[in-house]
Amino acid sequence: MFKPILAPIALVVGTLALAGNAHADYPERNIQATIQWGAGGATDNVARSLTPHVEDILDTTLVLTNRPGGTGVIGMNHVMRQRPDGYNLLYGAENPQLYPLMGLADFTYDDMHAVNIIGQGLVVIAAPAESPFDSFAELLEHAQENPGELRMGGTGAGGLPSTVLAMINAVDELDVRNVTFGGDGPGITAMLGGHIDFMPLSLAAAGEQIRGGEMKGLAVVSAEELDSLQGVPPITEALPDIESFLPWGPFWGVFVHQDTPDEAKKTLTAAYEEAVANEDFQEFLQNFGAEALNLTGEEAEQYLDNWQSVTAWSMYEADADILESTPEELGIPRP
Amino acid sequence: MSDTFSYFLMAWLDPQLLLLTAVGTLAGIYVGAIPGLSVTMAVSILISFTFSWDINNALALMVGIYVGGVYGGSRTAILLNIPGAPSAVTTAFDGYPLAQRGEAGRAIGLSTVMSVIGGLLGTLVLAGTAPYLADMALEFAPRDYFLIAVLGLLLVSTLSGKSLARGIFSVALGGIIGLVGMDTVTAQPRLTLGSMELLGGIHYVVVMIGLFGAAEAFYQLHNLNQVPIKQKVDKIIPPFKMVLKYLPLSMRTSIIGVVVGALPGTGGDIASLFAYDHAKRTVKNPSSPFGEGAYEGLVAPETANNAAVGGAYVPMLTLGMPGDAVTAVIIGALVIHGLNPGPMLMIETPHIFWFTVGNLALANLFLLLFGLTGIRVFSKVVEVPKALMIPLILVLCVVGTYSINSNMMEVYWMLGFGIFGYWLKVFGFQMGPIILGVILGPLLDETYRQAMSSVGDDAGQFLLALLANPLSLVLTLVIVLVLLSQTPLKPWVRRRLSRQ
Amino acid sequence: MSQKFERVQAGEKVFDWLLLLLSVGVLIEAYRIDGIPGLNSPGSFPMGLALIMLASSLVILASHRYKQRDPKIRNARHELLVFFHQHFQLHIVVFTLFAVAYLAAIVWVSFYVSTFFFLAVMFIYFRQGRVVSSLIIAALAIATIYGLFTLVFRVYLP
Repeated sequence: MFKPILAPIALVVGTLALAGNAHADYPERNIQATIQWGAGGATDNVARSLTPHVEDILDTTLVLTNRPGGTGVIGMNHVMRQRPDGYNLLYGAENPQLYPLMGLADFTYDDMHAVNIIGQGLVVIAAPAESPFDSFAELLEHAQENPGELRMGGTGAGGLPSTVLAMINAVDELDVRNVTFGGDGPGITAMLGGHIDFMPLSLAAAGEQIRGGEMKGLAVVSAEELDSLQGVPPITEALPDIESFLPWGPFWGVFVHQDTPDEAKKTLTAAYEEAVANEDFQEFLQNFGAEALNLTGEEAEQYLDNWQSVTAWSMYEADADILESTPEELGIPRP
Repeated sequence: MSDTFSYFLMAWLDPQLLLLTAVGTLAGIYVGAIPGLSVTMAVSILISFTFSWDINNALALMVGIYVGGVYGGSRTAILLNIPGAPSAVTTAFDGYPLAQRGEAGRAIGLSTVMSVIGGLLGTLVLAGTAPYLADMALEFAPRDYFLIAVLGLLLVSTLSGKSLARGIFSVALGGIIGLVGMDTVTAQPRLTLGSMELLGGIHYVVVMIGLFGAAEAFYQLHNLNQVPIKQKVDKIIPPFKMVLKYLPLSMRTSIIGVVVGALPGTGGDIASLFAYDHAKRTVKNPSSPFGEGAYEGLVAPETANNAAVGGAYVPMLTLGMPGDAVTAVIIGALVIHGLNPGPMLMIETPHIFWFTVGNLALANLFLLLFGLTGIRVFSKVVEVPKALMIPLILVLCVVGTYSINSNMMEVYWMLGFGIFGYWLKVFGFQMGPIILGVILGPLLDETYRQAMSSVGDDAGQFLLALLANPLSLVLTLVIVLVLLSQTPLKPWVRRRLSRQ
Repeated sequence: MSQKFERVQAGEKVFDWLLLLLSVGVLIEAYRIDGIPGLNSPGSFPMGLALIMLASSLVILASHRYKQRDPKIRNARHELLVFFHQHFQLHIVVFTLFAVAYLAAIVWVSFYVSTFFFLAVMFIYFRQGRVVSSLIIAALAIATIYGLFTLVFRVYLP
């Protein structure tokens, strides 16, 4: 019944597709961009404030879609399964670099092409305003006298707090109760109510609360004091050995399928480089408590590899039991 | 004081802001009415869209969409038995039977007026008590959220209709569906049957659209040739006497709504469930039995979910913490516009608070206007012949489900839940408890494990904490009382008391 | 409506047995998370909920002892016939099959094409003819969806 109707339609669609493929300048239609995390999160905020600049440069529309779930596995898997024609982008965070380690998926950013590593978030270890501790060293001392007493806010295995805890445990000892929340937001809310004792948080989420005096910063996960958070000592003051892991932080990047045509890769790379360098966006990043990176090509690959090796090995050294495979098995070199 | 007042009136006096609020409210009603299109999604689309705008203009549009969207969910719930959003699930319990009686117009009219009353009361509470309410909300520890979730579970007796065993089965099944996906603590897959697609869990709106929308389409196939019910469209605007009669109930349910909305872990969906339960417990002589078209069953959830909007703004404006998913996105918008949402927001940019309050009040007035116009056309939807309606409902379910995460797999799940829901319906199971389980299951699991971790996995310490903290103690006592009032113990207790 | 559920429906007992089976399946899946769960482990709640499902489905089955089969139904064979007559009427089966085919087709021939065909065919089938008006209504529906979803809300449809 349908055959006579379907055939001409298929023909028309086919011709259109062929006509489209024949040497047209990329991009000649809307681009689909997938955000790996939900609406209102850090990745979402970065993607949505960067995209309008890219649209101006490419003179096309980027249709943004949030595909959250499974620590980002769902969104990344979706983009990897689309046609590699440069019309499907992924806005992602750092998590895929740990997928094989956590046993979540067998791919990482090695399986995609990095268009741009946009920026890196800064991390601060925060405590409630009425906390008895004034520095991370005091907290560490208390925790070592009373192991397993302090309540640390976390966001689950592979989340930022657990990675920071792993780094600390790789060079020292910090035995705490890990209370897991759905994200930075719920964790901060619990901290404001005094239901947890401390939590490693992204500066983007915690900065305003610290500046407003609702929470205090015990240490920034960095080798030096930050301009944007004066008065909070670097973590190296309490733990000098941790410097080998630094600089470290969650990052955001734009990725396309590995097999995307070179022309599209080139156009996208140039467009994103210009967009990230845009003054308005730079101002946003700074406001957001993040550090602009704007890495492309070789530099981006290097950054990704380095991030993976530092994080994977510190997690392995801190608590190998929670990992599905060892970094060695996955061929991740030691930092 | 005069500053406050001028900030409050900002959106009322500026024609551009007035227009944007109106457009937002109108668009919000449609966003809310279409299952799958959520306010969260609409607001996040608006972020890129309003990127270069003035922040006040962007906020006015977002407030409009939020207020309109929360209300809009009731439209499809009443007309088609498909809640447009989870917070309208309870509206369908009595709204749909009303439409089946030919009172769709009256039901929409009443729910509009009640939504506005709830919305205005919520705004009033926000304006008057925001800092105190925020402080109170912060007092809720993980164990208190756990207790609230347990209290929510006890609603099963209200929602399960004739057979409690079936209700309990449904809640547990819903909970299992809600828990599919990665464990929040260890990130290990749970109940995913080895599928990568299921790592992210099953979105509860997918379950909702399947069980309510698609299942309803299949169920209606039995009455394919039934002549549609003629709708009475004369008495749409509820008479003043009627509004006055339900005013005490709407005040109580608005308070429930605003408090539950202000708690950062719970929102309009849970608020409307509690409100419905409250109405069913306290109203002795409803206009019809609950579940068969009681006006009270419409008043309670509709006031509560709109009052929850005001509540959700409380932690956002005072602390910079989101009260729900929508305010989380609005916080993102503030960040992108260069503001610093946090505890200093009210000090650094004092106009934002009163501007939002004024804007919410304005949006509610627009809601009254847009909600009461066009009801005649809307209630004709029920009169559309089934032969056209059923395929259209299925298509709407497909589009709606796909809109959530742009995931075809979820559309297949939706159809699966539709077919499963058909059989559940046929054999006397209610859909309400399943949704209750889907909403509460993850909350229970997450908060229980937070509470347990906080006391070092010590059951004794856990129980002690329930009794040692005033707030937890009150919640525990309420749970015990509700349990006693529901079990066979009740007559026994009453006899003992009367003997004394 | 409410009277209908008082007595056992055709196939109800079988359905309740299937629910018991589902509960057992869920229990096995819950056990596979981390064996016998501790006080605070990933498997505690799934296991607990699975046990509740199991217990309540047993109660549901037990309640059949106090229920009456529809007196009009004579024996198991007749029950099967009644069951099929109630739930497998031709138009229900056709609609279900088309719904499944429609979902499968979306991926192959795009959303709009498959939706149009699904709507048009179902309208024509349910209304027994009236081809022209059916096609027009289907086209109108497609136009509305396009305007609302693709243009206004910018939802990407396959």
